[in-house]
Amino acid sequence: MGPLSVNELISENTNLFLAFIIGIGFGFILEMSGFSSSRKLAGVFYGYDTVVLKVFFTAAITAMLGLLFFSLFGWIDLNLVYVNPTYLTSAIVGGIIMGAGFIIGGYCPGTSFCGASIGKIDALVFIGGLFIGVFIFGIGFNLWDGMYMAKFLGSPKISETLGLTDGVFAFLLIIVALGMFWVAELAEKKFPREEY
Amino acid sequence: MKPLTYLALFIVPMGLIIAAVPPNRTKQYKLTAQELLDEVNTRNQYVTSDAVADMLIKKDPSLRLIDVRSQDEFEKFSLPGAINIPLNDLLSDNYTDVLNQDVKMNIFYSNGTLNANEAWLITRQLGYNNNFVLEGGLNYWFDTILNPQKPASTSPDEEFAKYDFRKSAGTALGGGSVQAAKTEAPSSGKPVIKAAGKKKKAAGGC
Repeated sequence: MGPLSVNELISENTNLFLAFIIGIGFGFILEMSGFSSSRKLAGVFYGYDTVVLKVFFTAAITAMLGLLFFSLFGWIDLNLVYVNPTYLTSAIVGGIIMGAGFIIGGYCPGTSFCGASIGKIDALVFIGGLFIGVFIFGIGFNLWDGMYMAKFLGSPKISETLGLTDGVFAFLLIIVALGMFWVAELAEKKFPREEY
Repeated sequence: MKPLTYLALFIVPMGLIIAAVPPNRTKQYKLTAQELLDEVNTRNQYVTSDAVADMLIKKDPSLRLIDVRSQDEFEKFSLPGAINIPLNDLLSDNYTDVLNQDVKMNIFYSNGTLNANEAWLITRQLGYNNNFVLEGGLNYWFDTILNPQKPASTSPDEEFAKYDFRKSAGTALGGGSVQAAKTEAPSSGKPVIKAAGKKKKAAGGC
């Protein structure tokens, strides 16, 4: 049956409309969970508040389980689901830049718009920086397109690389995630901060 | 109980279930039998030999001819620029990118239309688009393009126009030399499948 738009069960426009609705829901949940506060977001790096880790990892394992069960019931063809291709070098470099920006600015791109939507000044400044970064990347693309396109790996799956089935890898990831949540809660007790 | 315990109680059993069940490796069929029957009835998968000859002469970059006969037959004779995907290897992973794409217009051909139609049916069932069948197959190609019959003098003008086009196309696509190959090709034993009267251009595609 799914993916709905790939199998032409819904039109491209309906697909965008659904994305719009889901996007509003996503932003709403982010704001409700306090993700519009840069101090709360940065807390994950200092250990006093690990809600970011918990929310995003819970979302990831929930979506992962959902997709695997949908595939099991024949509701979705996972071969047709778009997976971002992996360019190893740029993934590592981009991850470092993104992580550094996250610690310094206290936002990730999605949550900065979340913060801006309720009028946070620091979020607006962060978005300004984001666009400057996009601009520099675009202008100087010729300088780093070699690195950008280096080490293309296609769309590999970790389960395939390890030789496990998707289900077994999913189970292992769930165990790892629960272990991380447990460590995260220990960290919250160890580095408490009253107000932030 | 803490939220983490609740989460663990729910998600660990789910993870165990998904780890225990075998993964779904079947290629899913995208069309129901009724949808496929409707498509077959429209005969939209057919491209006439005239249309293919026209695209070949104009060097249409979107055209991709796919020979579904065996490699032996392919090496003995093939249409210009054709690639060989024997019917047996149709589902091989090597050819998925060729068959499942939305840039080129793939046209299957075999000696008649049977094998090409089989390839078309299977790819269509998998939900692939832009695959077509050369109407009448190579047999009809020889009859119409490489060896056209002069129409009767009482025929309407269109028949003569078609004949002129086929004659020049046949010459451009190497009619004479290919004619010799035809007699060697194992296709000679097969009956010539005449295309149905009405000719349609390929619908859809690029």
